[in-house]
Amino acid sequence: MLRFLVRRSLGALVILVIVSMVTYALFFAIPADPARLYCGKTCSPENLALIKHAMGFDQSTPVQYWHWLSGIFTGQIIDGKNCAAPCFGYSFAKQEMVGGILLDRFPTTLSLTIGSAIIFLIFGIGTGMLAAHKQGKAVDKIASSASLLASSMQIYVAGPLALWALVYSTDLMKQPAYVPFTEDPIGSITGMLVPWIVLSLIWTANYTRMTRSSMVEQLSEDYVRTARAKGMSGSSVFLRYAWRGAMGTIVTVFGIDLGVLLGGAIITETTFSLHGLGELAIHSFRDSDLSLLVGVTMVAATLIVAFNIVVDAAYALIDPRIRLA
Amino acid sequence: MSSRNMRLAAAILVAGALTVTTACSSGHSNSDSASASKSPVAATAISVGTAADSKGPAVAEPGAKKGGTVNMIDRDDFSHLDPAQVYMNYNSEVSLLFTRQLTGYKYSADGSSQKLVGDLATDTGTTTDGGKTWKFTLKDGVKWQDGTPITSGDVKYSIERTYASFIKSGPTYIQSWISGDKYRDAYPGPMGGQELGAIATPDDKTVVITFADVHPDANFTLAMTGYGIVPKAHDTKEEYDKKPFSSGPYQIVEHVTDKSLDLERNPNWDPATDPIRNAYPDKWHMEFGVQAQQSTERFMADNGPDKTAFSFHNQVHTTYIDQVKADEKLKPRTLQGLTPYVDYYYINNTRIKDQKVREALIRAFPHQQTRQLQGGTSYGDYATSYMSPTVLGYEANDLYDVLKKPEGDPEAAKKLLTEANAVGQTIVYAYNNTPVQQKVTEAIRDALEKAGFKFVPKPLDSKTYYDQTGLVNNEYDLYWGGWGADWPTGYTSIQPVWDGRTIADGASNYAHFNDPEINTAIDAAAKIADPIAQGKAWAAIDKQLQQKAASIPDVYQRSISLYGSGLGGVKFDSLFGLQFPLNIYVK
Repeated sequence: MLRFLVRRSLGALVILVIVSMVTYALFFAIPADPARLYCGKTCSPENLALIKHAMGFDQSTPVQYWHWLSGIFTGQIIDGKNCAAPCFGYSFAKQEMVGGILLDRFPTTLSLTIGSAIIFLIFGIGTGMLAAHKQGKAVDKIASSASLLASSMQIYVAGPLALWALVYSTDLMKQPAYVPFTEDPIGSITGMLVPWIVLSLIWTANYTRMTRSSMVEQLSEDYVRTARAKGMSGSSVFLRYAWRGAMGTIVTVFGIDLGVLLGGAIITETTFSLHGLGELAIHSFRDSDLSLLVGVTMVAATLIVAFNIVVDAAYALIDPRIRLA
Repeated sequence: MSSRNMRLAAAILVAGALTVTTACSSGHSNSDSASASKSPVAATAISVGTAADSKGPAVAEPGAKKGGTVNMIDRDDFSHLDPAQVYMNYNSEVSLLFTRQLTGYKYSADGSSQKLVGDLATDTGTTTDGGKTWKFTLKDGVKWQDGTPITSGDVKYSIERTYASFIKSGPTYIQSWISGDKYRDAYPGPMGGQELGAIATPDDKTVVITFADVHPDANFTLAMTGYGIVPKAHDTKEEYDKKPFSSGPYQIVEHVTDKSLDLERNPNWDPATDPIRNAYPDKWHMEFGVQAQQSTERFMADNGPDKTAFSFHNQVHTTYIDQVKADEKLKPRTLQGLTPYVDYYYINNTRIKDQKVREALIRAFPHQQTRQLQGGTSYGDYATSYMSPTVLGYEANDLYDVLKKPEGDPEAAKKLLTEANAVGQTIVYAYNNTPVQQKVTEAIRDALEKAGFKFVPKPLDSKTYYDQTGLVNNEYDLYWGGWGADWPTGYTSIQPVWDGRTIADGASNYAHFNDPEINTAIDAAAKIADPIAQGKAWAAIDKQLQQKAASIPDVYQRSISLYGSGLGGVKFDSLFGLQFPLNIYVK
């Protein structure tokens, strides 16, 4: 297991370096001049040169990239400001260090992800198992139809409708906002309820369908039939055999989904005015904020890569047949 | 559910579905206006006030009362709060609450006119040499938030620090007028202990600024937030941008970047010194990250804290414009007005040298169709001049019959092209490649081809649009652009855009229009001391530009926005084209 983790982690590092290089290359592939955005309406050539120098854009792309990469390990001085290691750069749009901004925004995205994940895992897997258990019966048909309907909804439709129905016109729930649990435990839940409900509605549907189909597939496997033939009880076969077999698929997909959600649920955060990594990604692109863009991209990439490793490792625990070669 | 709520729910569904598809557009959809019959909103008249006008307190808002918290919701945080870095209109608007300048603008009681008045100064300044030397005297009783008096030294320091290298985005007029275009070479700023000789402070109350040349409207320039005051003792340089020290009625309690800004009363602000600012609410709570669609829905629903909310910048989302205009209940809290911004379609004068061809382009241009595609009458009024009606001296005229034939006049255009022997001339049109602009481009193609032009569209990426059209040697004949005056006189409406000596890559003269007669007239107008006479001179230049067919004025931009029912005194600020905070009170 240790060898596996070390090998995969080294591979992940290579992937992350490649991702950062590609992000840099793509940013500079656009022939726009980001310095002009910070230069005001009547931008003199002198001011523009000053800004380019401050932002480091008067240096070649490889040199800029090297400063960024080495800054992670050694820190750097950016426009007279000390950025201690690990330094992820300075955002000229927000006038703050990128590392600090990412740390400030991550808890919002984490809360959004964890809260909705708890809901969609409980309801999605639960409903999926129930539908599989009652395959072909009314419960199965209702669950399948409802999940099909819900999964066809999109955040940008369901979100505004939920806001209107639960917040704007009825005041039933609070205007969505992230409050740290340590500051106000109840407020941290009530402030995120609407985004959790909307996000989990769509994901619950997906997990219901996935769980149902995996369980149905497992229930028709030979080893499940054998267990039944040997006289095992229905519940034991369902939970100990079929469920364990279906878990592999669910864990794989959940691992990837978790990485994607933690990297920033862009539309959800925008719809609910939440200040998470997704909103930050939009800002960094809109403002041509290279350091922030690379920072957000790297967080998302790191989480996706990390959760892939966790999923691979989890396989061995779930299914002893799989050995980590 | 009421029928209004049903309509809102249906609209939310549609708007939600449209959000993603229009997210990258210029923000105006296909909504045509159902309110062609609405009454026009007149531009605010501008004049220069006297010393009596400069005395506080501000004109009281009828029915206003003190107390409560006003909420503000907007898409973006303020990009700058350090006065020297402030240029954008929404930064300027919020700065009114905590930053004062030598001069400022005072609205009349009915909001129909504005006067330039002394803000910190006792009047709008005096000059005895036509505008080369300006003298201001500070009022008694003006203080910083810590109670220390505001002195002439503070004013001098505030202008000096605009030279510092960390000030990158504010206006540069005063610096250039004192020290030339390369002003930082002449003076590095006050951080090393050097002083700027052009600003004298013979005593704690008097400031004398001497320019290299005459600038009769420098008192307007000094009303820009960019020349607001900063105390030397509390100057945190780059950090100052996050939390400036107050000289106005409110002080910053907390500013969390991109999330919120909270203000409370500045106990050391004396309303008797301030002719501009009313300060009715006890507190202001501002939240960012709210998209225009969300703020519109929240204002329409008008629940909870949103009842006492307004928005500096977020306008009514295009999906809801017709619904908002038709809803009688929303009318009392709907604000409409002309902004200082004018849309132009710049004709590249280095490529289209024949005036008759330029005139043909103006005659053929389909204003009606393009405006309809961008929001109809809510988008703006047809423009017939380069100066906005919000600018001092603006004169209405219609040399090319735009108001009579806003759909374009292909016959007249074709006649001009025939006279110029240019039927079939190719027009390369560069446009911002967004869904709305793609449709606008087709409308222009249709109109120009009817007039006898050959039309070649060139889509440009949004991020590079201004970089590419801003090149002197660009390969386009026609492209959209806009301009808004930095202060409401003709100088910044005309000079940056139409002075041929400013042509350079990335400069504001996008049309590359260079006419010696206009350049000379600009120099002459800039030296006229009397604001009324100067306004007439700028209007005359505007008319000359029209006669020379410099480009195509398209639309005087409008704004439409909502606010909560629990607020009173919310007005439209024609200076910045935003909601005005200084008369707002909680009912």
